[in-house]
Amino acid sequence: MQVPSTGLLRAFSPLYKTTPCLPWTARGCVYQQRASFSSTEQRQKRNKGGQKKDPRITQIRYHLQHPLTPRPLRFSRTRYLRHWTIHRAWQLYQSKLRTQRERDLEKQYNTMHAACEALRLIDNHGMTTQDRARLGEPPQDEGGKEMGRLYRIAMLKHGVWDGVPIEYARIQTDSPGREGWNHAWTQ
Amino acid sequence: MASKRPITQCLRCTGHDRIHILPIRNLMTTTSEPPPPPPPTDRSSSEDAPKQQSSTLNPFLVHTPRTERKLLATQSQYPIGSRRRRAALATSSNIPFTQLPYQCFQEARKILLEDRREKIAEIEKMRERIEKAQKEGTRQGEGEGEREHRVRSMRGRVEDLKVLADINDPLVKKRFEDGLGDMNKPIYRDLANKSWRNYKRKVLLQRITQMNVIPDILPFIDPSVSTSLVFGRKKVPHGEIVESTLSERAPSMELQCFDKGERLVTIAVVNPDVPNVEKDGFAYRCHFLASNVRISPTETGVDAATLNDESQVIIPWMAPYVQKGLQYQRHAIFILEQPQYSSSTEPPTPLDLVEIKKQARYTNRDGFKLRSFADRYRLKPVGVDLFRALWDEGTVGVMERLGVSGGDVEFKRKRVEPLPYKRLKGERFR
Repeated sequence: MQVPSTGLLRAFSPLYKTTPCLPWTARGCVYQQRASFSSTEQRQKRNKGGQKKDPRITQIRYHLQHPLTPRPLRFSRTRYLRHWTIHRAWQLYQSKLRTQRERDLEKQYNTMHAACEALRLIDNHGMTTQDRARLGEPPQDEGGKEMGRLYRIAMLKHGVWDGVPIEYARIQTDSPGREGWNHAWTQ
Repeated sequence: MASKRPITQCLRCTGHDRIHILPIRNLMTTTSEPPPPPPPTDRSSSEDAPKQQSSTLNPFLVHTPRTERKLLATQSQYPIGSRRRRAALATSSNIPFTQLPYQCFQEARKILLEDRREKIAEIEKMRERIEKAQKEGTRQGEGEGEREHRVRSMRGRVEDLKVLADINDPLVKKRFEDGLGDMNKPIYRDLANKSWRNYKRKVLLQRITQMNVIPDILPFIDPSVSTSLVFGRKKVPHGEIVESTLSERAPSMELQCFDKGERLVTIAVVNPDVPNVEKDGFAYRCHFLASNVRISPTETGVDAATLNDESQVIIPWMAPYVQKGLQYQRHAIFILEQPQYSSSTEPPTPLDLVEIKKQARYTNRDGFKLRSFADRYRLKPVGVDLFRALWDEGTVGVMERLGVSGGDVEFKRKRVEPLPYKRLKGERFR
């Protein structure tokens, strides 16, 4: 009595979805028995006598419904509890990492923001209006130009998009345009 | 010499002990913890011999037909548990669950214990803050109400932390699933609440809504107390039709609340489908009304028959009856929480039944308005249950014993005269 190979069983154990419900965009996959990467229909050779069958899919379906295929495994109580504990620990660890990452980014952003704010209030002598008033210095006669000049230079956006291809500026739309593809377009 | 699958063979043949051809490999853990202590020897039998050196056999551990027969013969005791369970218990090394030598499991336990320690430290910190907030009074620019709100939020956070500290514990989960959770502890109450809300409460709300109990008797309810109804010894699911003879005696209920502390509730059983032929409509009738019933997360049982007549029961139990020809009549059981006039530390103030019993509108069964009662005494609906009554052969006897006339009355549908049919001219039908 030959037991069918367990390789297929391992690949299709109940931990993975056995019958995924395909979205309507993948309708083409159902009618043609192929397991290709893309869901768009691919042109096949004209086959007389039915659709082209993928032998891998045929074999899988044969072995899944074979009476000698062992039934799906079930965890025992303690095995399941151990699995649950490990799962909870992993999820906790991942969420801690995530929150730590987010907090680090937030701290960086806040320090950058504070630095820019301090720069905004400073003139070419490194003094704010409050400092000048406190130290008794006279306000600059063209102080309006110098105050926050370096901040304004830092906020300039020249060269920000250097190196990014212009094609990225094409916005996604719900429906296609009147001319589907502009063949005459050059950069 | 050893066959291809020695272990399965030995499991099958039960005539001798299990042979360990392969040594049971203890997986090494990379943790810096000391090795787990040897398992406690709370069982009398050791790993390899189900046959005792001593003469007494353990009914939990005998797992061969010979030893089972011997147990029955010498100690006149039956073995306890299935044979597979007994064999597993007798032949395993009985390591406690938390000390099982699986590396990934132990590492996970380490992480979860670390997290638990953090949560407990945060609870301590929060408690200190609450004490400080209560001692120092209001901060600058803060009113009394804001300070109270701050203290309340901190207390809520402490309760959440108490649940978060234990929610990753597999033994807590196992204990809860086995029904052994102590309802005095917040984690078991939280788990019970979650599991009730996951399914049973949804079913309850669906039945209440479909049977239109909710707009008919009370305008709104958000059930937070789980109810279960038992008539005699029969458990009645929500909305089921109960026989007239079965519902003659007052039922007993199990009211499980999920927040700590005890409270006083009022239980009211109202029938909104009493037919009124003259007005061609329906009226309310109250079948039972009792107040000042004490429930808590650990004391959940309420037996309507054992309630005190003077201080608790306002309207005693009357059996539901439905005359022949009528549709089913809904009987809704409402659990209404009585207001706690004082703070939660002091015991709740009971309602004054003497004063209630003087009022005719709350002692009359017919035309009893639960909305009026709840509004007058500021009761909040926290739980609801439903059962239905229909005519059956026992209804006549029930009505006789109640002393209610009309047991032989049969309702019939009024014949509606059809509109006069004018036969149209023949030309229209071709």
